[in-house]
Amino acid sequence: MTDFVDQCRSEWKRLGVSDQVADEMASDLAADLREAEADGVSAEEFLGSSAFDPRSFAASWAAERGVVPEPAGKSNARRRPRVLVAFTGLAALVLVVAAALLATGEPKVSLVATRASGGSVQSSVVSASAATPIEWILLSLALVALAFAAWLWSSRGRARLSRV
Amino acid sequence: MAVGSQRRTELLRGVLDLCLLAVMDEGPAYGYEMTKRLRDRGLTIVGEGSIYPLLGRLERDGLVETYRAASEGGPPRKYYRPSSAGRIALALGVSEWRASRDAVDAVLAPVRIEVAT
Repeated sequence: MTDFVDQCRSEWKRLGVSDQVADEMASDLAADLREAEADGVSAEEFLGSSAFDPRSFAASWAAERGVVPEPAGKSNARRRPRVLVAFTGLAALVLVVAAALLATGEPKVSLVATRASGGSVQSSVVSASAATPIEWILLSLALVALAFAAWLWSSRGRARLSRV
Repeated sequence: MAVGSQRRTELLRGVLDLCLLAVMDEGPAYGYEMTKRLRDRGLTIVGEGSIYPLLGRLERDGLVETYRAASEGGPPRKYYRPSSAGRIALALGVSEWRASRDAVDAVLAPVRIEVAT
């Protein structure tokens, strides 16, 4: 009987069930098995076929009770779509803003050149887009980011198809 | 496992949660105490499948409430009783069971079993 409870406990530990919950389950199980034994009821009669497979029994109990922590990979996979959506949205926004700025040529910087010759002053104004190099860099980065996002979406889609 | 015993196990599997809710509705009970109440009514087949995973599921689904209390002359035990949702589930389940039982009876009742000796 003790051996059965010990095997259950080690299975719960392996599954990552918290010590507090595992202690509670083990204590309840041990008390029930002791009472059954005192009543002349064997572990086989009380637990049925589970009496021969403590690990499966322990895993099934913990899973049904919902005390087995979710694997880290699974929770990451669940969180990934939100991150991916945000990443794709940001890249698209940067692309649109950079393209709009390039199209309008804003913001502009103006240079006023003043030259004095023969008593008269001549001024000439030269305007140019102030941020053109940055806009091109942003546009390029946004395109790369969107391509990367597209690759992530397609690989995610392939992974989901292969699971079906 | 004999065919008859296997069928009883299969039949019971679908309503064991209702049976557990019903016996704990009579009064809060811990795990082994519930199997005793079931055995007293002839459901000895409970031993074919442990009740613990089922109790775990009822707890997870919020159909039972639990508390720890000292048992008679024994260590503190975890007692189960149906929650409000559990009582509703029990009422609905009993109604479904009766409808299914009556339908099956209607099919099986005319069957005459003659055993040649």
